[in-house]
Amino acid sequence: MKRGTKFRSTLITLLLLSPGLLTFFLLFFYPMMVTLTRSLRPEGEKIGWTIEHYVTFLSESRAWEVIILTFVLSIGATLCSILLSIPLGLALRQKLRAHRFYRLTMITPRVVPGLIGALGLLLLFGSRGWVNLFLIRFVPFIHEPVSINYTIPGLILFYTWLYFPFIALTTLAALEGLDPAIEEAADVAGANRWQVLRHVVIPLIMPAILAGSVLTFMASFGAFSIPLIAGGNHRPLSVEIYRQIDFTPARWSAASARAMIMAVLQVVFLTIYMRILRRPIT
Amino acid sequence: MTFIRQYLNAILRSRKLLVQTLLLCFALMIYTPFLMIALRSVGRGWFGRRWLPPELTLDWYRWAVEVTNIVEITKNTLLIAVLAVLISTAIAIPTGWALGRKNIPGKELLMSILLLPRMIPPIAFALGVAQIFYRTDLINTHIGVALAHVSVCAPYAILVLSATFEALDERVLEAAGVCGANPLRSFVHVVFPLILPGVLASMIFTFTTSYNEFTLTLMTYGKDTVTLPVRTYLAIGEGYWEVTSAMSILLVIPSIIVLFMIQRQVAPEKLVGGFKGV
Repeated sequence: MKRGTKFRSTLITLLLLSPGLLTFFLLFFYPMMVTLTRSLRPEGEKIGWTIEHYVTFLSESRAWEVIILTFVLSIGATLCSILLSIPLGLALRQKLRAHRFYRLTMITPRVVPGLIGALGLLLLFGSRGWVNLFLIRFVPFIHEPVSINYTIPGLILFYTWLYFPFIALTTLAALEGLDPAIEEAADVAGANRWQVLRHVVIPLIMPAILAGSVLTFMASFGAFSIPLIAGGNHRPLSVEIYRQIDFTPARWSAASARAMIMAVLQVVFLTIYMRILRRPIT
Repeated sequence: MTFIRQYLNAILRSRKLLVQTLLLCFALMIYTPFLMIALRSVGRGWFGRRWLPPELTLDWYRWAVEVTNIVEITKNTLLIAVLAVLISTAIAIPTGWALGRKNIPGKELLMSILLLPRMIPPIAFALGVAQIFYRTDLINTHIGVALAHVSVCAPYAILVLSATFEALDERVLEAAGVCGANPLRSFVHVVFPLILPGVLASMIFTFTTSYNEFTLTLMTYGKDTVTLPVRTYLAIGEGYWEVTSAMSILLVIPSIIVLFMIQRQVAPEKLVGGFKGV
């Protein structure tokens, strides 16, 4: 009897889980497998196996440029986001006037389509945009527009604009969850504000910052819309994949091989990163 | 070194002013791009080094509506988003219930597997999705694009809903039973009102995700299922920045209005999340 009820409840649980699992397999696992098989087929054919697409791509010197560029952009954006998020979190936890407004401001880049953000940034930082007008007008020794759009630092800036909310939110949440008594204790012990920040607050919120940085890294590694319209000649992996199928004849196998390389790189990097995170941070 | 430290201390002491300036700069950084788009969309003959457009016009909006057929595109976008929301919610309610309320061995692992689609770059499996859809004639259908969106929307809905169901107190259900409610009544009068905020939040978030989704749409759209983000991309490619700006304003305003409307009810911070335990 008891065995029967247990069996029934397992069955019900499985039944409840099935829609989610089915979605996972049909809309994620199966497509990934299709991509994998496609990448191992000769271009445009339904049979046969080959690893030529991986070999051709990886033996090009440009392939490594593309991969390094992808990493430079995503790691750069992650670092910039951390640098932006810490002061922002410190400022916002004080519940100043209009802090609700600033909180909404913080998540705005994630709520509007990335393409629109990229368009606005391109207009703002263009050679005729406000930033360049400002620099020419008020900063000495700058008489020519500084080129920001379509450069690597510019792209890192754009990525940061779009993907910093992940880190900013986890940092802010951690700061707000911090016990004020800890900081008071450090204060009483004679530490000045800088020391409190450096030796007490930052170590305590470090796990949250790192957790947020995983999210920002993943998002910027897979970023597609921004480099597509604002990348110019700098094409990270995602755009490189899309370019294979954008023109006729579409090279699906070549695109799939690149996509598999991208997925593997991301998984490997994340695994290493998580391993490092597990280690206690001193 | 001591000098730097003194300098930093001095800055920290004049904190109030510093903080206000910092926040103001930050808000400027976020909102000026939109201001630039808005100005570009109403300006004419804005060339050279000028701060503001010399002439104002609404022509670009007229163009956006007439030439790019924005009404049709909005209909497509909304229809696809609604379909994606309905399908994702239908999937996420049972699955979220099982994950939130049942004892499942290896629950954490199962959850991370279900959340994988949000971790792998969408372009990687979008290629596979597109190939499958070409074979099954789902390309260029609303339901096809919506299904592609479900692949990223559903994991998120499952995450939000399982958290909602987990927070449901077992004792409340027992109390309803003790008071003589049958399962149906206890669901309608007790469970449903309790889970409603969570379900609504998940629906709003999936809607936003689908409304803004670009990568998966680009791989699966056809001429009858152009959505607003894809149209914006095409217009940027065509080089009509003014018309594109006008369209973007029409596209962004709903998102921002929704954000400001829902901010009191659903803690929009959650919009950015979507990964548990990471």
